[in-house]
Amino acid sequence: MSATGQEATPLLALRGVRVRRGSQVVLEVPALDVWPREVLGIVGPNGAGKSTLLQVMALLLAPEAGEVRFRGAVVDARHNPVPVRRRLAVVFQEPLLFDTTVFENVASGLRLRGVAREALRTRVMAWLARLGIAQLAERPARTLSLGEARRTSLARALVLEPELLLLDEPFSALDYPTRQALLSELPGLLAAARTTTVLVTHDPLEARALATRAVALQAGRIVATGPVDTVLAAAGLGPLAGAVSLPAPAERC
Amino acid sequence: MDVLVAAVVQAVRLLLSGDAEVWQVTLLSLRVSLAATAISLLAGVPLGAWLALARFPGRRLLLAAVHTGMGMPPVVAGLVLTVLLWRTGPLGSLGLLYTPTAIVLAQVVLALPIVTGLSAAAIQQLNPLLRLQILALGATRTQYLWLLAREARLPLLAAAMAGFGAVISEVGAAMMVGGNIQGQTRVLTTAIVLETSKGNFDLALALGLLLLALVYAVNLGLTWVQQRGRPL
Amino acid sequence: MKRGHLEAWLIAGLALLLSGCTATAVTPVGEASPRSTGGETPSRPAVLLATTTSVQDSGLLDVLVPQFERATGYTLKPIAVGTGQALALGARGEADVVLAHAPEAERAWMAEGHGTARLLVMYNDFLLVGPPDDPAGVRAAATATEALQRIAAARALWVSRGDQSGTHQLELQLWQAAGLAPAGQPWYQEVGQGMGQTLNIASEKGGYTLVDRGTWLARRSSLALVALREGGPGLRNLYHVLLVNPAKSPQINAAGAAAFAQWLVSPETQALIGAYGQDRFGEPLFVPAAGRSEAELAE
Repeated sequence: MSATGQEATPLLALRGVRVRRGSQVVLEVPALDVWPREVLGIVGPNGAGKSTLLQVMALLLAPEAGEVRFRGAVVDARHNPVPVRRRLAVVFQEPLLFDTTVFENVASGLRLRGVAREALRTRVMAWLARLGIAQLAERPARTLSLGEARRTSLARALVLEPELLLLDEPFSALDYPTRQALLSELPGLLAAARTTTVLVTHDPLEARALATRAVALQAGRIVATGPVDTVLAAAGLGPLAGAVSLPAPAERC
Repeated sequence: MDVLVAAVVQAVRLLLSGDAEVWQVTLLSLRVSLAATAISLLAGVPLGAWLALARFPGRRLLLAAVHTGMGMPPVVAGLVLTVLLWRTGPLGSLGLLYTPTAIVLAQVVLALPIVTGLSAAAIQQLNPLLRLQILALGATRTQYLWLLAREARLPLLAAAMAGFGAVISEVGAAMMVGGNIQGQTRVLTTAIVLETSKGNFDLALALGLLLLALVYAVNLGLTWVQQRGRPL
Repeated sequence: MKRGHLEAWLIAGLALLLSGCTATAVTPVGEASPRSTGGETPSRPAVLLATTTSVQDSGLLDVLVPQFERATGYTLKPIAVGTGQALALGARGEADVVLAHAPEAERAWMAEGHGTARLLVMYNDFLLVGPPDDPAGVRAAATATEALQRIAAARALWVSRGDQSGTHQLELQLWQAAGLAPAGQPWYQEVGQGMGQTLNIASEKGGYTLVDRGTWLARRSSLALVALREGGPGLRNLYHVLLVNPAKSPQINAAGAAAFAQWLVSPETQALIGAYGQDRFGEPLFVPAAGRSEAELAE
């Protein structure tokens, strides 16, 4: 089902995907599409299988059954996934920075792709500036605060200008002001990168702020797809639940 | 006590005078042990990474065998290799017995398990999510292993120092497969044993101090590299 | 340099030393090239000599080896091990020529067909050494046999090499001649090591032991031991060179072994042997004996 109702190829399509851990089926997705330039929110409680779904989309995990298509072509995590992986970028729940400088961290994906020194430097510095961390370029990554680390990790993904950006709970464990700042900056950054985004989150506020469409996951199964508010309500994460995460003095009587 | 003082004096004198035989023995020790360490690193780090990351039946048994190899007595390694390299032995046609190459081989047998075992531990203690992140960045298999090694460089350099320390100081294997032939296979450790048995205690101690200074110098370099970018 | 890349270069640089390890021989330092004889280099230049630690400890090899190499163009590889091991290596064909001083073991070895020739090279004698205060009263003994009997009676510490070396075998013959069986007694200690180490232990513990003159002269100044009985019947130490039977293995350098043996018994080398030790110890260590017979020397 396309977002615009036209006959177009989804950027990423999953069909009949099943993932098993041990004897238990942890993910069962008969059909899921990601359309170009959208921000698809994947919401659900902890343990619903959101991260597993993300890893399948990122070609980091091969499902037991089913297929994954990128721009219509079937891709397999087990057989030569690297070319397609290089058109994606993933940001995980932890910053996962390397034991080197901020600059080197952000540059790492470009170095893997063999980007020339001058172009690399220009692109890295540009994205460091956009994330507001240009002054940290020569700092060792292990000395950063969590907020700075997350910005670095985002820059590392965005500098690759990927066709598909996969974010796994990128704002968890941040303090309120840092989170608010990043939340407000992200849409602009995504537009600047001209990328499609899949955002995994358990926080309805984030989904509402960033996603253009949502999918709700529970116990490894999709229980709702469609507009964000509809999906949040269907998943039991309705307007009231979303509002609780904000201090709202007007609601107290 | 006077023996120790005389030894220090003699050690300095030997170095400064440029005694040709001492230099030859020292250089041979370095060549042989550095070569053995280098080979063990080239083979052992990838092997250790493989043992850390791969999943196959018997992996733990293999890892335990590697750990056992870390405690291999040098004289046993030397003896087994001697029997293999004998003219009448299976590898006799190579004519390697009583050559520096044979000592290198014996020392690889000693250092390889050490480097492999410590490398496996170094890789295993990396965050599993970090491995996924590297793959997600689009790394090929080679790039993946290279980045993992770079992230684990602290314990990997420690593995290199452990391997080098084990072989530069051993005497059992060098004596057996090398034969302690003057000008050909005499290294610092076998020279120390010889001088001791001849009763030249201060010379033996001087050579011992020289050996320690050598090991310290090499490890100083490796430690400096290992600790780069970290607070003093 | 980028972080992490220095380590890679370090490892690659160390790996370059691989090229160094393929060299199988290092030119002896301070000596002219052994090929400088003007004659042609032998097709198989390496000669493996299995000899004993006493020969090595005496320092004679350090003088003989470079001379031999210069004179003949061969490269000598002396492996100094215990007599038992030296003969065993020869028996296996792992050595080309053996230089030992255990006549009874050597005769048995030849009888088993391991060698094609056995030539007498030189001799010296054994000495009975011990602590200066001589608790067993060995000085007063009239014969070697009586000396040993006094030691056994006093239960004085005796340090034996216990390694089937020429020295050890002579020691066992002496005990047998004295009608004694000291093995297992607490005062009889077998150390299983070379002559040098055995002397160190005897010196430290104040014990008696048997030592060949060569090693004794080289070591006496650093030991707390004195010579209590020297020479005399039964204490002769004969050195023979044995050629390993080439039929054992095609890898045996029979020509090189023969060259070494011939060189050892040549008049020039015999003179060299006779002079060795004079300047260092004030007396020569060995008596050249090529051409004489074993029977003639063992009274």
